[in-house]
Amino acid sequence: MTYALAARLTEVLLCLAFAQQSLEHLRGFADERRLHAVRLALCILVLGGLFAPWPLFGLAGLSLFILHRFQGPYNGGSDRMGLLALWCLALSRAAPNEAWRELLFGYLGAQLTLSYFISGWVKVVNPEWRNGRALRDVFQFSAYPVSESLRGWAARPRLLFAMSWAVMLFELAFPFALVSRPTLVAALAVAGTFHFANACLFGLNRFFWTWLATYPALLWLQARVT
Amino acid sequence: MPARPWGALRAVRLLLPALVPSWNFFDVVAPSPRVQYALTDTPEATPADWTEFRPRPAHVPVATMLRRLLWNPRWNDSLFVMSCAERLVDHPTAHSEDEIFRRIAADLARAPDAAGLPPVLRFRLVFVSRDGETLNRETLYEAAPRRRAGIAAA
Repeated sequence: MTYALAARLTEVLLCLAFAQQSLEHLRGFADERRLHAVRLALCILVLGGLFAPWPLFGLAGLSLFILHRFQGPYNGGSDRMGLLALWCLALSRAAPNEAWRELLFGYLGAQLTLSYFISGWVKVVNPEWRNGRALRDVFQFSAYPVSESLRGWAARPRLLFAMSWAVMLFELAFPFALVSRPTLVAALAVAGTFHFANACLFGLNRFFWTWLATYPALLWLQARVT
Repeated sequence: MPARPWGALRAVRLLLPALVPSWNFFDVVAPSPRVQYALTDTPEATPADWTEFRPRPAHVPVATMLRRLLWNPRWNDSLFVMSCAERLVDHPTAHSEDEIFRRIAADLARAPDAAGLPPVLRFRLVFVSRDGETLNRETLYEAAPRRRAGIAAA
């Protein structure tokens, strides 16, 4: 996969994810609607490949106004990943030469790898994750389960123990998937399934689309460095 | 809008954690906020009872879960309310309090009996945590009452 193709794929997937978010905001308060109507219009320009790269730069600039409006990311980690991808793409497009372009785009792929590995590391060093108690807490009293019936999963400690270790081992092992294209594709398929499950159980649909949008960056980076 | 230089600087400061992320998702399961509101006739009145804001449903069908992959505005807005609740306890700001008030007032304004509801609104934040095998609930924040009519809901 060439840099041009990977960057364009990332751009398209990211703008589709942003458009989905902005459509949701169009049912919000008036100030949100104004900001997200502009974002939606810029996404359409990027998707259509019109006036490139200015709509992408416009999205990066607009992201500061949206951050200011909500005094931070609206939806935590998923918005942070969206911002990271957007700014990596915008800075990469603005870079003066190929080396900088690749470095800035490669940073996104590297951060995607770290997003899994560090998430696994901070869990495995916590005894409550290792004995399954933390995931029971997530289901028992955190704000995330989408229904009261899902809280019943907290009463299935063996299942949650197995799920905890499956998540931690996958996240910790993720960097090893970079050794070859087939292992990376397989790992990204598992990761996508993980985000899909989180979207269904915890309502984190933004994570699913945003993380998916960054996968071309890692596929390119893996091919570039091996 | 970051109309002044300090506003722009603050926006850039908010961007930095995204550009250099920590990725420590769920490293610990922190006490979890619940937003409860109460309506009274006057600001001085003591609320008789508190109502949970946007309680989760008993059950969500699989088809709804799949639909929410593409359209999930209310849940995402509720997650933002949770962020505001956590911010209010960690670093209280008028912004976080305003955002929660606006959302409760907007939901109440859409209720069929909105006109007949008492005019004064207040909310509190109850944090749920686990101590051993027991779940504890502790009220860590209570906002001063406001008149519903004075809350910007546009």
